[in-house]
Formats: sequence, C-alpha cells, structure tokens
Amino acid sequence: MSEESKGKAAPAGKKLSISALVPLLAVFIVGLLIGFALAGVFGAQQAAQAVAPQEKRTISIGFTLPLSGELSSIGKVWEKVVYLAIEDLNAEVQAYGFNVEFKPVILDDATSAEGALRNVQTFAQQGIKVIIGPAASSQVKAVKSFVDSNEIVLISPSSTAPTLAIPGDFVFRTVGSDAGQAKVLAVLAFQEGARKVVVFHRNDEYGNAFADFFEKYFKELGGAAVKMPYQTGLSDYAAEVASLASRVQAEKVDAVVLISFDTDGGNILSHAAKSPVLSAVRWFISEGPHGAAELKAPAVGEFAAKVKLLGTRPLFIGNPLYEDFKARLKSKYGVDATVFCDTLYDAVKLAGWAIIRAGSSDGRAIRAALVEIAKTYYGPSGWTIFDESGDKANQDYGVWAIVRTAAGYDFKDVGVYERGSIVFLEKPYP
Amino acid sequence: MLPGYPYSILNSLQYFLFYLLFSVPLTLSYRTSKVLNFSHSNFIAYGMYTAIFLHGLAGNQSFLVAAIAAFLAGGSIALLNHLAVFRPLEQRRASPAFVMIASMGLWIMYNYLLYMLADVAHAFTMKNFISYGRIDYADIPDLRILDFTVDHSLLASLASATAFGTALYLLLMKTSLGRAMRAVADNPALAEISGIPREKVLRFTWFLCGGAAAVGGVLWTSFSGTITPASADAMILQVFAVSFIGGLVSLSRTILGALAISLAENVGIAALNTFFGIPTSFRPFITFVTLLTVLIVSPPLGAAGGLPYRFRRKVGGGR
Repeated sequence: MSEESKGKAAPAGKKLSISALVPLLAVFIVGLLIGFALAGVFGAQQAAQAVAPQEKRTISIGFTLPLSGELSSIGKVWEKVVYLAIEDLNAEVQAYGFNVEFKPVILDDATSAEGALRNVQTFAQQGIKVIIGPAASSQVKAVKSFVDSNEIVLISPSSTAPTLAIPGDFVFRTVGSDAGQAKVLAVLAFQEGARKVVVFHRNDEYGNAFADFFEKYFKELGGAAVKMPYQTGLSDYAAEVASLASRVQAEKVDAVVLISFDTDGGNILSHAAKSPVLSAVRWFISEGPHGAAELKAPAVGEFAAKVKLLGTRPLFIGNPLYEDFKARLKSKYGVDATVFCDTLYDAVKLAGWAIIRAGSSDGRAIRAALVEIAKTYYGPSGWTIFDESGDKANQDYGVWAIVRTAAGYDFKDVGVYERGSIVFLEKPYP
Repeated sequence: MLPGYPYSILNSLQYFLFYLLFSVPLTLSYRTSKVLNFSHSNFIAYGMYTAIFLHGLAGNQSFLVAAIAAFLAGGSIALLNHLAVFRPLEQRRASPAFVMIASMGLWIMYNYLLYMLADVAHAFTMKNFISYGRIDYADIPDLRILDFTVDHSLLASLASATAFGTALYLLLMKTSLGRAMRAVADNPALAEISGIPREKVLRFTWFLCGGAAAVGGVLWTSFSGTITPASADAMILQVFAVSFIGGLVSLSRTILGALAISLAENVGIAALNTFFGIPTSFRPFITFVTLLTVLIVSPPLGAAGGLPYRFRRKVGGGR
C-alpha cells in the first residue's frame, strides 16, 4: 500500500467510527432507559415483597383430655371449651397484629395415667412445648417427671391434689390446690350441723389427699371424720354403697362426705338414693361430680332434696367474664359450663400468650413468660396469678346444689365461701 | 345379722343374676367353639348401648323392645366375628392362642367403634352418651311385697335369668339341635363324622351367646347408675373368673361360680369391712384371688393341662 492510499484511508476510517458510534450511543441510551425502567419495576416488586404479610405461623398446643373413662362426662364438655378458647385466642392475637394461628391437638387419655403419659410423649415427639391437661391429679403425677425432664410446660385446669404443689417444676395448675377446698367443705359441713361424718373417697392421689386435708380441718373445727376409701375404675359401686350404709349405721354419723369424680359419683349417688339409711343423713360433695348428667336424673334429684345435698367447687361467683363465657358456651355449643370449664378456658389463653411473649419454642422461656402473663391476666376463673408452686394463688370457692327447675333437675351455685364461713345467696332446698 | 344387710344380700342376688347372664354364654361359646373370646365384653357393651341409643335417640321406655333389639345386635356381632375372623383362622389351622389374640383385637376395635357411635349420637343430640344414667323402663315396675320393695331391675333380672336358664335347659336337653351342640362341645371331630353339621351348630351357638350376653347388658342399664362404653370391660375379668370356676365347660359349675363370686364381692367385703376394718377398695382383690386360686387348683379345659371334668373323674379313680 502507498503512503497516499494510507493517508486517505485514515480519514475515511475516522468517519466510519463516528457514524457507527451514534447508533451505538442511541442503543446505549435506550438500553439505559429500559434498564432503569426494568430496575424500577423489579425494585418496586422487591419493595412490595418486603412489606407483604408473611405466611401465617401455626403453633400447636397439645391437649390430653378425659374424653372417655371416669371423667368422660365433663371431658366431652371440655372439648367444646377448648374449641371456644382457641377461637377466642386466635381472634385476640390477630387483633393485636400477630400473624399467628393456634391449633389444638386433642388426644383422649381415657382418664388413665398411662393414657396421659402416652399422649404427652406423642406431643413431645411432635415438638409441642405446651400441653394442657391432664385432668386428674394421678395423671399429672404420672407425666410430671417426663415434662420436667423434657422442659415441656404442662397446665392442668383441674388437678387439685396438694401433693403436687411443687415449686420450680414445669407443672402449672390454673386452679387452687385442694388444701383450700377441703377447708371450705369442712366449714360447709360443720356450719350445716354435721359433727361426725364418713368421708367416702376415691382411693387415689386426689381422693386420699382431699380426705386427709378434710379430716384435718374438720377436726380443727371440732368434728370427727371416719375415712372410707373405695377402689376406682369399677363398673359399678353397689357393693361399696352397701358397705357405706353399714358403716353409717355402725358409726352413727350424721353426714356423708363424698370425694369422687363424675361417673363414680353419679353411680354412688344413684345407689345411695335407694338406701333408706343413706337417705336419712346429710350429704356433702367435692367438686368432682359437678356437671355430670347422671346427677340430673330424677331419682338423684329427689335424693339431693331429701338429704339437702351441697357441694363445693372452685368458682368466682359474680364474675361478669364467667357469665359471658357460660352464655357463649351454651349458645355456640349447646352445653352448660361444668366444673373447671373456666379454668380450662383460662389455661388456653395463658398458654397462647405465654408462647407469643416467649417468642421461641424454648420450654424455660415459655415457663418464665407464663408466670409473667398470669400476673396480669383476668379471665372467667378470675385473676390467674400463680403462687410459688405454680398453682392458682387466689382461689375462690362456691357452693352448689341440685335444684328442681322447669326443665328438670339441674346444678345451681347457691353460696360462696367468705372469710371463714359460707354465705348462702339463696336457699336451695325448702 | 349379716353386715350390710339387706343391701349386701340383695346386691349378691343381683350380681349373681348378672354373672349368670354374662358367664353362661361365655362358657357355652367356649365349650362349643374352643375360642377364648375376649370380645365377649363387646356383646355386653353393645347390649347396653342398644338400650341407651333406643332410649336417648328414640325415647324407648320398653325393656322388652330394648331386650329384643339388643339380642339381635349382640347375636349379629357374635355371628359376624365367627364368620369374618374365627372361622377363617380355624380354616388356616391357627393356634388357640392366636385366635384368642384375634379376639382381643376385635375387643379393642369394637370398643373404639362404640366410642365413635356415641360421639356421633352426641353430635346429633347434644346428649352425653359416653356416660349415661340409669334407665327406668316403663314395663318393669317395682314389686311391693308387704313392707319390702323388690327393685324393678332385680325383678327383670330374675325373670330374664329364669327364662334364659329354662330355655337353655330345654334346648340342650330336649331338642336335636341341643344334642348336636353338646356333641360338638364334647368331640367336634366325632360329631362331624356322625353327620352333625358343626358349622351350623357353631353359628347358632355364637348367635345365642352374643344375644344372651347383650340382654344382660340391657338389664345392667336398669341397675347401674352410670353406663359408659368401658362398663363391660371393667367387669369382664369377673365374668371370666366365674367361667373359669366352671372350667369353661360345665354350665352348672359356672352357676356355682356366679354365686361364689357375687357373695364374695358383696357379703364377703361387707363382712371384712365391718369385722376387720379392711377397706372396701379390696373388693377386686377378693375376686382376683379367687380367679388365681381356681386357675392353679383347677385349671380350665385347654389351659395349663386342664381337663374336662368327666376325664378328671376317671383320672382321680372315679371320685
């Protein structure tokens, strides 16, 4: 190539590069604009993703309930209480802005210690850290070491044996121990004129402890108590009732104090109703059989009127929250609130809020949160603050009777325990 | 005077009749089929719940209606067990222990089915069927003799047990079917060779035993203060104890067993409680000591070398 040709070629090449740059620049600018536009779109999407609500977190609470066995009568009612309480709890936490949904996992323990332990172990395998139930003290005793060693918070709404009031464990009870109720029942019996009684009681954790405390307080008041345990889990108690009648005659007592659950209590009262000996003395009963349908039978109702049957139960009479709870349970599920329905409802609420406050699934954190939540929670069962043993610190007691209504015989709260004596709100029997 | 009189005596009589109605069918079914049937408690429980469902859902007040329905229900379950489980197992030459375990499986399955049925009934009516109170039947009144009232439940139990006992006696002793039942019980192989339709006899026996136990369940609903799906389970070991006293073969000894256990459980415990201060919570203890003693001293047929009584007499030199 000549120098001239070289010299010509050079300016021609410069011209080409400038002309090629213009469309390149245009493409670059357009690309830049598209890039910004796209970036804006995706950026906006990312921002939208950042503020969008997270997926709802589901938390399971385990329930080991007596849907069969000796507490089945009230167990079926409790199942409805659980549904009501979970529904209320979910509405409440969502109203506070927590994107959480509690789910009940309900298992039947057949009112047996083995059933309760099996259920608790099942919950532990599922990673559930808060369990509500079991109902009976003998069952709580059976699962206690397991929940303590696995740091699972257990809240029983109805275990009342004083022997289970142990500080520092993972067992909580939304009801006061029977040391309190035994005193109220002793005051009730003594105030009603009983001076020597037969304490006919379940031969288990609940019955034995209750009978011991009753005997202690009744003696302090100046009365005498003869304890008579009966075997639990029988198909029928006719033979036991016959022996009771024999003992009542032999000891010349003026009252029978029955410490029972619901199916055994209903059975015993239905047989006692046929006995002239047992119909001639007063009857005082613990909270166990309260709410059992068997006690509304005409034969038992007539017997109750004859012996002026009175019972005690943990209850805060005159609590508007309880009245509201009772009415909603009836209207929504068609069932009457029986004993411990209020304490079960509050147990569910406390459990839910304790889990949220703890913010983790650590058993110790939930336990600490539960104690704090209970200090400020007030529900159908009243103020739920726990004592150092994890039991309800301030327990009120009511007096119940079986009265005749337009629809047949039914339970009615007729009195309260106040400052060492029973105050009747109405006269249950003529 | 006997401790707990008159209730301990009346309860003894009442329990004697119950154990009779529950245990005689168990003995009869075992000696004919050789199946140690734990599902026997289901016949009783389904009898109770036939009466309860009829009362709670349909408002039935008649004992007779409940008893007929329960007889059919209990008999059908027993027949179904035989056709669907026991017979196929026997055809596969399953060991008696294996068949007994199968009967335990049936026992648990029927229990849960009963809970489910009670739950469904509860959902429809809002009545508690899991724990049901005593039923006062309109067609069995209390009987008043001078100053003494015979409870309607005792009266119905007496009538039912007498009717069942008489019918069973006439059936076994006076009919060809009864003779066939006895032949199958004594020697199934020989009976079959002799042309006795063993399968037909077995079907009839199962239906009869299931039905009779179920009628006992209906009677229980007029006596006990609370009936739950577990009520029959809580007494099945007593029922077995009574049948074991009869060697699971002898109907007359089963009747004696019913008398012994009912007296021990009622008069015995009342006496121990009154004279020695032994708590009434020892009542089941007495029953099970009796059961263990019988098992060791006089084991039933097919268990621990137990022989039918007619062979024992020969072995013992014609005592």
